[in-house]
Amino acid sequence: MSAVTEEREELVRGVREMLARRAPIAKTRELLESDTPYDTEVWRVMADQLALPALAVPEELGGAGFGYAELVPVFEELGRVLVPSPMFATAALALPALLATGDDAALAEIVPALASGEKTATLAWVEEDGAWEGGTGTTASGDGALTGAKSYVIDGATADVIVVLAGTPDGPALFVVERDADGVTATNVPTFDQTRHVARVELNGAAGRLVGEAGAAPEILAESLDKAAILLAAEMVGGAQASLDMSVEYAKQREQFGRLIGSFQAIKHKCAEILVDVEGARSAAYYAGWAASENPEELPLVACVAKATASDAFFHAAGENVQIHGGIGCTWEHDAHLYLKRAKTSGILLGDARAHRRRLADRLGL
Amino acid sequence: MITRPVPPGEQVELNEDAKAFRQEVRDWIEENAPDELRNVNLPRYVRGGDLQRNMEAWGEKLHDAHYMCVAWPVEYGGRGLSGLEVALLNEEFHRAGVPRVTRGMGEWLVGPSIIAHGTEEQKETFLPRIIDGTDRYCQGFSEPGAGSDLASLRTKGTIDGDTITINGQKVWTSGYWNANMMFCLCRTDQEARKHQGISYVLVPLEDNGIEFRSIKQMTGEGHFAETFISDAKAPTFNIIGGVNNGWKVAMTTLGNERGGNATTQHTQFEEELWRLVETARERGRLDDPQVRDDLAWAYCNVEIMRYSGQQLLAAMAEGRDAGPGGSGSINKVRWSEYERKIGEIALDLMGPESFVVGDGYDLHPWQATFLQTRTHTIWGGTAEIQRNIISERVLGLPKEPSA
Repeated sequence: MSAVTEEREELVRGVREMLARRAPIAKTRELLESDTPYDTEVWRVMADQLALPALAVPEELGGAGFGYAELVPVFEELGRVLVPSPMFATAALALPALLATGDDAALAEIVPALASGEKTATLAWVEEDGAWEGGTGTTASGDGALTGAKSYVIDGATADVIVVLAGTPDGPALFVVERDADGVTATNVPTFDQTRHVARVELNGAAGRLVGEAGAAPEILAESLDKAAILLAAEMVGGAQASLDMSVEYAKQREQFGRLIGSFQAIKHKCAEILVDVEGARSAAYYAGWAASENPEELPLVACVAKATASDAFFHAAGENVQIHGGIGCTWEHDAHLYLKRAKTSGILLGDARAHRRRLADRLGL
Repeated sequence: MITRPVPPGEQVELNEDAKAFRQEVRDWIEENAPDELRNVNLPRYVRGGDLQRNMEAWGEKLHDAHYMCVAWPVEYGGRGLSGLEVALLNEEFHRAGVPRVTRGMGEWLVGPSIIAHGTEEQKETFLPRIIDGTDRYCQGFSEPGAGSDLASLRTKGTIDGDTITINGQKVWTSGYWNANMMFCLCRTDQEARKHQGISYVLVPLEDNGIEFRSIKQMTGEGHFAETFISDAKAPTFNIIGGVNNGWKVAMTTLGNERGGNATTQHTQFEEELWRLVETARERGRLDDPQVRDDLAWAYCNVEIMRYSGQQLLAAMAEGRDAGPGGSGSINKVRWSEYERKIGEIALDLMGPESFVVGDGYDLHPWQATFLQTRTHTIWGGTAEIQRNIISERVLGLPKEPSA
C-alpha cells in the first residue's frame, strides 16, 4: 500500500473510532431532544485531535495541506452516524468559498481560526425563493453595510462567521459577517431533518467585510458549491451505507413464516440493488474528491455525477430501509426515519438529482 | 465541452516493472498490429468473411509473440500475468485500437478449470492445444430443463472401461460453428445429490453423434444452438477433476483475469453514449428535458464504470485485492441493466422510425442493441442470480431454502 493510501486509511480509522466512541447515534438522539445544537466536546476532538476542519486548508493558513481525497472519506464517516457538528457548514460550505476568493489578506485573518476549529463558519447564499444558485436581494452599501435576509443557512444560528452573498453596484460579492455583530439576527427554524440545523439570517445594516472582488461571486460560488456537492455526496454515501447495514442486520435476525426474512429473495434482491447503487455512488464521490484536488478541470462534471448519484442512492437505501424494517421502521423510536429525513433533505440541498443531471447536460454541451 | 480528461492509467502510480511491461506491449503492438483491424467496430460475434480471416491471422501473430492465454501460469504456456498486467495489456490494445484476440472459452473457462483441477498429464495434453488454437471449445452446460438451476442437468454420462458415453440435450451453445470440442457437464451418478454426481468432460465434436440446430433469436440471427448428443464418446482421460467432481470444476474462474478489463470496459459504453447523443441531436430532441435527463443519467453510469475501473486498477497497482467475491456480480448487474436501458432510450428517440426494418429483417444498430441487451441480463447468470450472489457473498444474507 502506498504511503498516501496508508495515511488516508489511518485518518479514516481515527475518525471512525472517535465517532463510534463519542458520537454514536444514541448520543445524537439525546442532542435532538435537547436545546444543544451539537456536542462541543466532540467538535473539539474533531478539530484539535483529528484536525478535520484544517484538512484541505493550505499550510500557510494554518491548515494540514491535504485535499478532497482526504475530506471525502471523512465526510463519509460523518454521514454514517449523522453526527450534528459544524463540520459541513465550516469545511464544506464556508472554507471552499473563502479559499476560492484568493483574497490573501482577508484569508490570513479569517481562515486560521476556522482551520483550528476555534471558530466555525457557514455560507449564506440562498434567499427566500430557495434558488440554489443564490440570491442577491440582500445588498451592500458602499461601506459594506449589509441589508436583507438569507434563508436556509446551515448552522446559521451557531456559526461564528457568516459568509454572505450580496448584491453590489459592481455585481454579486461575498462578505464576511460576524454573527454576533450589530444588525445580525440569526434565528433557528425547526427542521424536518433534526440532525441538520438551519437558520434564517436577517441583516440590518450589519458590518460586512468584502472578500474577493465585487462581481466575482458567481464564479467563486460555482467552484466552491461544486466542491460542497462532492462532500455532501460523500456524506450521503455514508448515510446510504449505514441504511443498508441496518437493513442487512435486521434481515439476518428477523423471522417471519418460520424463516429469516433475509432468506427471501424479495428482501435479498432489494439489498443487492441498494449495494450496487451505494458502490456506484461511492466510486463517484471518491473519484470526484480526487479530481477536485488533482485534476480540477474535471470538477464541473464530476461534482454533478457525484451529487446526482449519491442523492438517488441514499434515498433508495433509506427508503428501502424503512420498508425492510416494516412496522418498527415507521416509529419515532427507530433510527430509520433519521436517515430517511436526512436522505430526502440532503438530496435537495445544493440541488436535487434531476437538477444536477440538468446541470450536467448543460455542462456537457448537449 | 466534451472531454475525456484523464487518460486511463494516469492517476495510477506504476512501479518500474509495470511501466517496462507496458512499454514492451506498446512497442510490440505498434510494430505488429494490422492496419485492417485498427479502429474496426467489432460485432459481438465475428462469423466468417474477411473480418474472421483477419482476426485469425492477427491471433496467430499474437500467439507467435506469446500473447495468448497471458494470465495462465508460465509452466502451462501462459505468461503468468498479474491482474494489473492484464489490465495494462488490455489498455494498450485499446489505445492502439486493435482487438485483443483470445482463445475464447478455451482461454477463459476450460484452461483455468484444467489448470486448477486437471492432472499433470491432462494439462500437458489439453493446454497447448488451446494455446495454439488446435482445440476450439464451445460450452455444453445449459439444458432445456437446467438454466439458472444448472445443477439439475440431466444429460447422462455412462462410463464403461476407459470410455464415457454421453446422451442428452444441451442448449444455448454459442460459438458452435467454429468449435471442434465441447466442454460438457453430464450426470455420471444418478443417485447422488444434485451437485454431486456431475462430471466435466472434454468431448470431441467430429463424427461423434453431436448435432447442432441453430436457434433463431429475436434479432433474427442464430448465434446459439440446441445441441443433441447421442452416444457421444470420449476417453475417461478427458474427465477433468475426477468422476462426479464436475460441479467444482465448472465453477472455476481465473482470479487474475478478474479486473483485467477494469480500465477498458467503460470505453465501449462511452462510444455508445456519444452515438446516442448524436441520435438525439439528429432528431432535434436535445431540447427535451426528459431526453437531457436520460442522457445525463447515462453519462453518470458510464462515468461510474470509468471511475470504478480506475479505482480497481489503482488498488491492483498497490498490490491490493482486485475486489471482493461478488464484485463481478455487482459489475454485471450494473452494465447489463444500464445497457438494456440505453436500448430502450434509443428506440424512444428513433420514434416511429423504429417500426421499420430493412429487407431480410436487417436491423438498425439501435434496434439490434435494444434486442441484444435483453439477453445480457440472462446469460452468464441472470440478473436475479447475480442479486442472489451479491446478497449472499457480499452481504452475508442467508441462502434461499432449497427444495
